[in-house]
Amino acid sequence: MRLTWRSLELRMLLPLLVLVPLGFVLTHIAEVEKLDPGPLGLAIGYVAIMLGAHVVLTLSGHRGDQLLLPLVGTIGGIGLIMLNRLPQDLAGTSALGLSLGMAQTQLLWFGISVVAMLVVAIGLRDDGILRHYKYTWAAGGAALLAITFLFGTELYGARLWLNIGPVQFQPGEFIKIVLVIFIAGYLAENRALLSGASLRIGPVSVPPLPYLLPMLAIFVIVMLIVVVSKDLGTALLYFGIFLTMLFVATGRRSYVLIGLLLFVAGSFVAYELFNHVRLRVDVWLNPFADPSGAGYQTVHAIYAFGRGGLFGEGLGQGLLPGVGGNFPAIQTDFIFAAAAEELGLVGAFALLSLALLLVFRGLRIAMLAHDDFSAMLAVGLTISLGLQTLIIVAGNAKLIPLTGVTFPFVSYGGSSLLASFLVIGLLLSISHRSALSSGAGA
Amino acid sequence: MTGEVLRILLLVLQLGFLALLYLILFGFARSLLRDLRSAEQTQRASRTGIGRLAVLESPDDEPPAGRAIALGPINSIGRNVNNTIYVEDDFASAQHAMLTFRGRSWFIEDQGSTNGTYVNGHRIERAVALSYGDELMIGRVRMRLER
Amino acid sequence: MIAINIRRLGVYLLLSFAIVSVGLSYWQVVDAQALASRPDNPQVVQARRTALRGTIFDAQGKVLASTTVTDGLARRAYADPAFSHVIGYASLRFGTTALERAWDDILSGRADPNPLRDLVNDILARKPQPKDITLTIDQRLQDFAARQLGDRVGAVVALDPRTGAILAMTSTPTFDATPFSGDPGSAAGAMDEITSRKNNPLVDRARQGQYPPGSTMKVFTAAAALDAGVITPGTTFEDQPKQETDGFVVDGFRITEHDLSPVKPALWPLSEALQVSSNIFFAHVGLELGADDFLQYAKRFGFCEPAHIGSGSHALGVDPSYVTRPQDGDCSPFSDRVELASAAFGQAQVVATPVQMALIAAAIANDGTMPHPYVVRDARGHAAKPANGPSKTVLERYGSPGETRVVSSQTAREVRAAMVDAVEGKLGRLYAGAGDVSRYGVGGVHTAGKTGTAQRGEGQAPHSWFIGFAPGGENETPRIAVAVLVEGGGSGAGLAAPIGGRVMAEWLRLEGE
Repeated sequence: MRLTWRSLELRMLLPLLVLVPLGFVLTHIAEVEKLDPGPLGLAIGYVAIMLGAHVVLTLSGHRGDQLLLPLVGTIGGIGLIMLNRLPQDLAGTSALGLSLGMAQTQLLWFGISVVAMLVVAIGLRDDGILRHYKYTWAAGGAALLAITFLFGTELYGARLWLNIGPVQFQPGEFIKIVLVIFIAGYLAENRALLSGASLRIGPVSVPPLPYLLPMLAIFVIVMLIVVVSKDLGTALLYFGIFLTMLFVATGRRSYVLIGLLLFVAGSFVAYELFNHVRLRVDVWLNPFADPSGAGYQTVHAIYAFGRGGLFGEGLGQGLLPGVGGNFPAIQTDFIFAAAAEELGLVGAFALLSLALLLVFRGLRIAMLAHDDFSAMLAVGLTISLGLQTLIIVAGNAKLIPLTGVTFPFVSYGGSSLLASFLVIGLLLSISHRSALSSGAGA
Repeated sequence: MTGEVLRILLLVLQLGFLALLYLILFGFARSLLRDLRSAEQTQRASRTGIGRLAVLESPDDEPPAGRAIALGPINSIGRNVNNTIYVEDDFASAQHAMLTFRGRSWFIEDQGSTNGTYVNGHRIERAVALSYGDELMIGRVRMRLER
Repeated sequence: MIAINIRRLGVYLLLSFAIVSVGLSYWQVVDAQALASRPDNPQVVQARRTALRGTIFDAQGKVLASTTVTDGLARRAYADPAFSHVIGYASLRFGTTALERAWDDILSGRADPNPLRDLVNDILARKPQPKDITLTIDQRLQDFAARQLGDRVGAVVALDPRTGAILAMTSTPTFDATPFSGDPGSAAGAMDEITSRKNNPLVDRARQGQYPPGSTMKVFTAAAALDAGVITPGTTFEDQPKQETDGFVVDGFRITEHDLSPVKPALWPLSEALQVSSNIFFAHVGLELGADDFLQYAKRFGFCEPAHIGSGSHALGVDPSYVTRPQDGDCSPFSDRVELASAAFGQAQVVATPVQMALIAAAIANDGTMPHPYVVRDARGHAAKPANGPSKTVLERYGSPGETRVVSSQTAREVRAAMVDAVEGKLGRLYAGAGDVSRYGVGGVHTAGKTGTAQRGEGQAPHSWFIGFAPGGENETPRIAVAVLVEGGGSGAGLAAPIGGRVMAEWLRLEGE
């Protein structure tokens, strides 16, 4: 196999050598108020992981997309700077004889996740294992979901955690990927049907039955998630992924519209029936009604945005992490608000733009894919990252009710990180295969 | 080190951080735009539903190996620069072959070349219908018809 | 096919990210200032708990509010309860009110009055430097006015009609704001105690009290009608003398006169009608003016919308005054001619704040031009020892925020003459004579004024009003305009007029010192 220099990837990764340590230095100076760069081990370790991944991809002759890794590396770098700057006892690991702080744990997960990404990117030579066993994948996902429903632990009012020995993990993150694989396989297989005529009932054109049934099934599952696990964000995410993939496969806006109407109707019913849903929505509509109670997090996130202004309070100088001692869920749900306070609108916009570019890159991989399954898979995976970012950022900024999804590559959490890097691994593998088959280097 | 100096330093570092972040961002945006333009070319071809020629092997590197050439309905292939698809190869003739899209499928016809035109390793005598995935050999240049 | 859909999807996603960015811009730029001043913003809380806060001085440099920091904890003390409503309080528990709120950025030092310095401070994230502010109010006059109200419920507003500078603005009953600045627990206790008293002392009756203005409104009606040209100072209404006793039937509703005794009804022109405060005369004037012009002039005089003392982000709000029933923050149209005729003598749906009525007096005093009021004269560097007086470093001076011409200077002269007669004239003396400054030892100048006795419901004592200014003679320049309101104080002549006269006399005397 011919060795291709992944020079673009390397060129875009090199600035991280300055960016991440600079962020660490800034936060440290702000904290100790002395001209002292502070420990840079984590920053260097992080950049080393990213460069190491580049070297492995190059050596393996990988011809996949060269911008994915640098984009993810930059976004994750900002995330690590923020996590390193928060109180380190917010989370961490003290198992297997190790006692790690929050940023150290996150770096460990970065390492594990990048390895997993490389295994998928290089090892997945053939997508048959995904394509042909889609029902097996779906069954596995459903089983995981059921287990979470039954044995999951509740945190912040949502049941989405499973304890396996010392490791606590969030199955929702992985079910998301399985869901995408299943839908991609299903839609790719039945694409012939969808180009056919739709059922017409009076003036309303309804998708043909094979589309209607899985659509309803997924709708039911989504609603189940809302009811049982009380997790609005994940429900919205799953449903959004499904509708988007359906739209890409069929090009019919009416399907999306019907789906959205169903979701709105379902949400309305949920609002009427369930207290936790009603509380979330009421807090969203008027957080200032109870600024020290239910609206506490939202109100203070908004204050943090306001303090940030255009250029930010300065890395390490934000107040949000210290609100009320330790601000709840700052390292997961509110990491974006914390970053926006310290980096300002300018920095927040850059972070959002990076996420958007990542999404565009994923869509480009989908466009260049040579078969429908790969294209649908790439779209679904990309959208899962893009929608999740949109949902959490919009929730932080009070554009939609606040939900507990993570900011991919930024929020603290091993499950989220691992799942997000698996997505990147799959995208790399798809783009590698289309580059091989067209003979065109990407 | 007084507080004032420290504040100025922090401010400078902060602005430096943001500036670097934007430099990186613009770098990404530039590469993305460049790729988008080339993707658009390949896509224009696929949107008309006709296809493209992927260059698999090209000893003199014109067209370069790895390039995918978007196809119009009528394409002339040869060593003369006036051909739609210009092939810089000593074993290709000036007017080597015609690649045309008629009705629903592709046809290739040799234009009386010295070294002949090969489809999947077989030299053709008359106009031959092609299907996607077939390999063409013009001189020493090996290409594959793709959707 | 898929490629086109993906491209469309890309556009939708771009739009979604753009919407989110716009949302962020709203919080981070558009609404940032407003968020930064919310009392539970940790930025504010943290600053307030420990930070020094600027001193508030009166016009003479007397300390009204000052902060001392002991053991890292800031405590604010308020020197004079007569100022509690205008200054308000800065409390960890209850946030800020009144001037403490409007000027919070300057007092806390979060902002610098100079925009350039402000920008530099902001960029360098400098520690806030509290600034002091000086009021236009003179503590001596303020205390005098408060003493005049005594334990009655009411308000006194006095201002310089030439500039709009507030000279006194006090409301009774008042309260001590100092306990609110203590630790949150005891602050809550103090608040509970104060709110349990009767006649809610927290209300600033000068700015927030909306009372029927009664006959003081006739000054407005006269000015509007003269300016519109529908009457002259000599205009009389033929049927008026008879209607004084029989009543004036408008659209089937009988408008009756108040008790005129000992005056006998006669054919009165403007001056006499104002002196005896004839409701019938002014009902005629109102109908002559017409509903549209009445509303238009009312709006020109500042009715129908909230008013402000000062300008911009530092403005102190004044509740709106209305001449008809309020509707969507504006005055609704007059429902019929009866309402118009009654509004012309200050009844029906008319309500006004003492500040609004003082401004009407000031407009007449200032030659037909209504000054825009203000109460903060300057911002200065923080004086380390407030008791020794304010710092010499004046950072910014604040003058009058502007003025509005409401009637012609000819009209103002005619109304002024009638108002002087209302206090000093043969008939007027019987009603508003107590407002005359000469009765309180200030000789050689004339006084202009008008009393009001605002009827309320059955069995409730009317509100007592007085508006006026001095010196009010033809060739004199008025230096003080006042509005006095005493809730349930009975006739205007009995309570409000002497308070008004005394306050004006006191000011002319203080000025002469």
